[in-house]
Amino acid sequence: MSDYSPATTASPVTLMRVALRLLWRDWRGGELRLLLLAMVMAVTSVSGIALFTDRLERALLQESATMLAADRVLSGRQMPPREWLDEATQRGLMTAEVQAFASMVFSDQANLLVAAKAVSEAYPLRGELRVADQPFGAAYADNAGPARGEVWVESRVLPSLGLEMGDTLYLGDGEFVVSRVLVQEPDRQQGGMMDNAGPRVLMNLDDVPSTNVIQPGSRVTYRYLFAGELAELDVYADWVREQSAGDFRLRDVRDESQEVSDALARGESFLLLGSLFAVLLAGIAIALTARRYSERHFDYAAILKTLGCTSNQISAIYFGILLSLLLIAVVVGSVLGWLVHEGILLLLQSVIPIALPEASFTPFWLGALTAFICLFAFAMPPLLALKHTSPLRVLRKDLADAPLSTSLPYIFGIAGALVLILWYSQDVLISIILVGSVAGVALVLSAMSYLLLRTGSAAGMRAGSAWMLAMSAVRRRRRQSVLQVLVFSLTIMSLLTLALLRTDLINDWQAQLPEDTPNHFMMNISSNQIAGMQSFLQENEVDTNPFYPMVAAGLLTVNGAPAPHPWDNDDDASGRTTMTERAGAEQPDDAASGSDTGESERPQRVENRQVTWTAQLPPDNEVVAGNWWGEDNRPGLVSVERDYAERIGVTLGDELVFRVNEQEITAVVDNMRTVRWDNMQPNFFFIFSPGTLDHLGATYLSTLLLQGEEKLLLNDLLRQFPTIVVLEVDALIEQIQSIIAQVSSAIELIAALVLVAGALVLLSCVNATLDERFRENAILRTLGAGRKLIMTSLLIEFAFIGLLAGVIATLGAELSLYYLQSEVFQQTFSLHYWVWIAGPLAGTVIIAALGFAATRKVVSSSPLSVLRQLSA
Amino acid sequence: MTAMIEARHLTKQVATSEGQLIILNDISLRIEAAEAVAIVGVSGSGKSTLLGLMAGLDSASAGDMFLDGQNLSTMDEEERAQLRGRSVGFVFQSFQLLPSLTALENVMLPIELKNDKDARRKAASLLQRVGLESRLQHYPNQLSGGEQQRVAIARAFASEAKILFADEPTGNLDAATGAKVIDLLFSLNAEFGTTLVLVTHDDRLAQRCGRLVRLVAGEITEDSAVETSGVENGTAGEASTAGDAAHV
Ligand SMILES: Nc1ncnc2c1ncn2[C@@H]1O[C@H](COP(=O)(O)OP(=O)(O)OP(=O)(O)O)[C@@H](O)[C@H]1O
Ligand SMILES: [Mg+2]
Repeated sequence: MSDYSPATTASPVTLMRVALRLLWRDWRGGELRLLLLAMVMAVTSVSGIALFTDRLERALLQESATMLAADRVLSGRQMPPREWLDEATQRGLMTAEVQAFASMVFSDQANLLVAAKAVSEAYPLRGELRVADQPFGAAYADNAGPARGEVWVESRVLPSLGLEMGDTLYLGDGEFVVSRVLVQEPDRQQGGMMDNAGPRVLMNLDDVPSTNVIQPGSRVTYRYLFAGELAELDVYADWVREQSAGDFRLRDVRDESQEVSDALARGESFLLLGSLFAVLLAGIAIALTARRYSERHFDYAAILKTLGCTSNQISAIYFGILLSLLLIAVVVGSVLGWLVHEGILLLLQSVIPIALPEASFTPFWLGALTAFICLFAFAMPPLLALKHTSPLRVLRKDLADAPLSTSLPYIFGIAGALVLILWYSQDVLISIILVGSVAGVALVLSAMSYLLLRTGSAAGMRAGSAWMLAMSAVRRRRRQSVLQVLVFSLTIMSLLTLALLRTDLINDWQAQLPEDTPNHFMMNISSNQIAGMQSFLQENEVDTNPFYPMVAAGLLTVNGAPAPHPWDNDDDASGRTTMTERAGAEQPDDAASGSDTGESERPQRVENRQVTWTAQLPPDNEVVAGNWWGEDNRPGLVSVERDYAERIGVTLGDELVFRVNEQEITAVVDNMRTVRWDNMQPNFFFIFSPGTLDHLGATYLSTLLLQGEEKLLLNDLLRQFPTIVVLEVDALIEQIQSIIAQVSSAIELIAALVLVAGALVLLSCVNATLDERFRENAILRTLGAGRKLIMTSLLIEFAFIGLLAGVIATLGAELSLYYLQSEVFQQTFSLHYWVWIAGPLAGTVIIAALGFAATRKVVSSSPLSVLRQLSA
Repeated sequence: MTAMIEARHLTKQVATSEGQLIILNDISLRIEAAEAVAIVGVSGSGKSTLLGLMAGLDSASAGDMFLDGQNLSTMDEEERAQLRGRSVGFVFQSFQLLPSLTALENVMLPIELKNDKDARRKAASLLQRVGLESRLQHYPNQLSGGEQQRVAIARAFASEAKILFADEPTGNLDAATGAKVIDLLFSLNAEFGTTLVLVTHDDRLAQRCGRLVRLVAGEITEDSAVETSGVENGTAGEASTAGDAAHV
């Protein structure tokens, strides 16, 4: 009798129509709103954050590129092949050329050592030149650069030489008209002391030959500047590396400024972590709401089966529902993400003064893909479990959630989370830390809940006191309670971790470069000038800072054996340069400067470091091994920076031999220090005890804070003490401060976004158990339990769960912070004592309030209506 | 001729914490087309379980179950679902309407699942037939229990099923409403010539079927023709009596 054609079975179109109708109707009933909200949240946070970081990162790179006056720089003591410039032009890159050298300039009355810099037409490729028409006059931008026969000079050149604007200045064999006062050049800090000793004189590159100042053997720094598409620059950088067999390397701003690159890297890590947390939280919310949705749909699936739907057709229907949800979530989320990022930009208008580059399309893909992964990992398993619903359920309701008790959803969820974490962080370390702390929390949780909830698994509903009622409710729903505590603790943990990390990062940055950071370095000071300079500065009401003696020392042997080269095992051959050395010595060259024949005579490479001696431990230094020698010191001791000591394998008590000014000095390692490298202050790898080096002819170094008008003092200072060298880092410090301010604001906003995601999770978790609470409390009330009793019991139940979650979250947050800060953010970790009170307290209060608000409906609706609704 | 429903030595047992529990023991039963059979018994005697097995909602532990000439025991759940879609309709004690769909949409569902483009019109006319033409756009929770059950009946007949299974269709209704619902069920049953299997512990309701099967602790203790009290299903009663004699 089986004369039925296959056409009688539902077609995909029919199934999709049914799916859409269920979707629409469920939407009306509010069922799907939380699920959709969670998915929208995931897309919004990912696309919003990605859009923002995408644009911000490019903007920051662009802005910091002004420190180079280009995107990439190639520099050397010898001129790199000219064809390389042509090659770059052919590849569509912009190029410019710079030659820097020290030279004497003359007027009819006086002469002056200046830092001359010759630039080609296109200079600067990034950033701008600011000039004025009178010394110390109002500045305006002029990127044309000096024409041939003209020079632009820094203000104080004019009084020093007794010149007026338009007068003639002599440089080598050349004669130049002073046509502008140079106020600011983007790459002022490039090159070391040799390039920057003395005030700047900027000239046209084509005038250099006629001056005849560059002779074989003169010290010139050649720089090629490049700017253009990042991708093309990378390709070109590879080409240059190949051409030069590794002798030349294109450097970008990250190579140039440790401070900026640190700030950028940390900011990026934080944003990454933030969006990761946001997505994970949204994922949890999706899992919870999808689970609740599917629980409610077991009946649907059973009924559909009695109506002849096959398991596959049921899967198709719910797949259709999910797919439609995904589509809506992606569209709505992308729009919201766009708005969020626009909003962030609006808020940040004051700190991000530059025009942001257009966003790319990638963030939207990222958002959509995230939603897709979330959907598959978190929402699909419970919904697909629907197909296993037994149709018998229509006859026997107690065939309840059997399909969900399998571990499939968890496996899917965990796998999805892992994929997301790895994909986002692209960083195994962060992934391990996150997964580790989550696993830790889960472990602690299982142990704790086992102990706490073990008692009375058979405990019934003892309606005697609210407390008893609450506790028995927690125990009765033990599995659910554990899940709730898990979700709550993960959520609170994420929020705590981010909040603490944010605070620590921002505090750290503020400590790094406080408002009163000295922004001028004075060097080459002889000991008999110190007193005079101090009184000059006091007269002019400028604060003085310590004068550090400074001398170059090369480490020869450690306990008699040749000293290993500290950066041998490092890709980054330049290693860490102290601000002092950056100011005092030349920048490391890209090209092996073979012309320095003095070096090659030595049997080993000896690295010269600027060292000092002092009785007082400098600020921002911390002794981590041994003791600081203090006032009662004796000569022959040295204090070594800890990481440096590790690199050269030096420990306390080792005997080091240095060569200082052709003399050999022996010193014993007395203690080790940590140093704050990013504070833009004099920092030293080696500090000797007083009396060790005193006779070796050191010069002194000190710092000054000069703001605004005070800068004019430099002229008088230099007139009185013509031999000293002043290095101005005020522009650099300002730049770094502004970048840090931008990154800080971004961090604040991301933290806020994650907070919203967290709130969503808490809400959906409370909601997830609502049905059962409804039923239970309706029954309790029909049994005569008072409203007040039930409310109090609910409050206690949630508060208890919240407290538990708060404690575990605090534990987890501190744990993950410890690893994150020490491994990823390079910060020192210290316990946050207040959090140990605030965490549990916040957990208790927030969960109790949320839960109470959500379940208030339970008590305010009549028991009859509740029972009716639920039995339908 | 093959029977519409035939159970051969059907046994259902489940594993419980106290060992194997035999719910149905060696049930053999034959129901011809257009018969109306009442299955009665005390609570827990296995009525719903038997109904579930006969409708292919569950599979037996032993024995064979034939429905509309097909052996359910050899089919998998997918094939059984397709068979249900083609041949079987249900009415349940707790109505089992989809709460988020309107009355009309609930009735349309089985028709649509057969790819019938005419679902809306057919569903509307069925709802009219059960007297709910003014409630098409109402949701289940806006309808009374009796009205919901009438929607469920309309849905059961919407699939043009040959066999209708009803498990305590009046169990959740008061006597008067229940009687109306039953009248409706029987008149539609006669109109469509459907085979009806009705589980109840209401003897008066059982009287309206042509045949009564009594279950006690999972075994059939009585299978007899009934003096029908309904006018509409007289023919069905006679048919069942005949089949009954041949079978037992
Ligand atoms: N999957 C199962 N697991 C355990 N016991 C079951 C299962 N299915 C049915 N039973 C038991 O088998 C017996 C028969 O159940 P069934 O639902 O068929 O009874 P019923 O005759 O329909 O009763 P009622 O009139 O109360 O609906 C009951 O005691 C029931 O508890
Ligand atoms: Mg029953």
